[in-house]
Amino acid sequence: MSKESEFTRIIKENEGVIFKITTIYTNDQEDQNDLYQEIVYQLWKSYDNFRGDSKISTWMYRVALNTAITRLKKEKRRGKRIEIDKVIIRQTEYYDTEFEERLKIVYAHIQGLNELEKGLMLLLLEGKKYEEIADITGLSPSNVGTRISRIKQKLKSQIVKK
Amino acid sequence: MELEEMQAVWSEMSTQLEQQKKLTDKMITMMTQEKYRNRLNKVAYPEMIGAVICYTVAILILINLSKLDNWYTLLSGIITVIILLVLPIMSLGSINKMRNLDVARNSYKQTLIQYAKAKKRFQKVITASYYLGFIVMFTIMPVSSKLINGKDFFAETKSVWTLAVAIPLAITFFILFSRWVVKCYTNNISSAESLIKELEETT
Repeated sequence: MSKESEFTRIIKENEGVIFKITTIYTNDQEDQNDLYQEIVYQLWKSYDNFRGDSKISTWMYRVALNTAITRLKKEKRRGKRIEIDKVIIRQTEYYDTEFEERLKIVYAHIQGLNELEKGLMLLLLEGKKYEEIADITGLSPSNVGTRISRIKQKLKSQIVKK
Repeated sequence: MELEEMQAVWSEMSTQLEQQKKLTDKMITMMTQEKYRNRLNKVAYPEMIGAVICYTVAILILINLSKLDNWYTLLSGIITVIILLVLPIMSLGSINKMRNLDVARNSYKQTLIQYAKAKKRFQKVITASYYLGFIVMFTIMPVSSKLINGKDFFAETKSVWTLAVAIPLAITFFILFSRWVVKCYTNNISSAESLIKELEETT
């Protein structure tokens, strides 16, 4: 299998992951599409260096999260844009309204966290173990545990406030 | 909403996303190509346009430097040129630092620290640019008066409006505006600082 087709396969397998990350780190559709493309581009650029040094998911989350936080907010608009709107928007059509409401609450909770917590929360929701979260974030596993406990406390206090 | 409930919603969304794969090979290939990225367009436009203006004016002043025939106009010209040359280097340089982080090799924590530091530097540069811009606003007056009208601004300006109204008005505006600028950027800088401190303390 050629490098290109291998890469395409990996992206296709993980398109949902990239979508979820772009949803958390952007506020509108246009911004989300831009970030989606930027992540795929950065993944492609670093694909040669990846060479199986770490798990695919570790590499992918690391590049995607780093791209999301380093992207200048004002750096957007204009430019050629691949129409991935339909890819992304369509999923809302499948949601029942109740589920959509619950999903909105989840996103609202995540948006209330700081940048570090946001990344940790995403990885936690993705079902990652503390060791892998530590690998992606550069924190020690024990520190990941401590911070996740704090996030849980924060979520509880958000509920109390409401 | 408790964490467990959030995880259940997230998992349901992930399942739905799995069933809705829409990316085609062509779309992915296009995304990997430089020409489809917004990077060129993403280069901070205001800073780029500002740099072109600054360098154009600086070159014009340098070409006509011999026309600034007294010490104070010449000094104003030199100060203006220096600021106009330094400003774009400062702002574009700090933007570049923010953009050129190694997203492939750095961990999330390293990236957050480096980005927060670069952002802090950028905010300081913006604040400094603002003050330097204000100095240029004054130093360029005698220079432009000499180069455009051939007049000595200090010796030949007799208009009460210019000296007694316009300049105090500009200073008042500057003081009010600078308060807002400083307040705005101080908040951004301190939030970046607290994030750096928090991350650097953790292992």
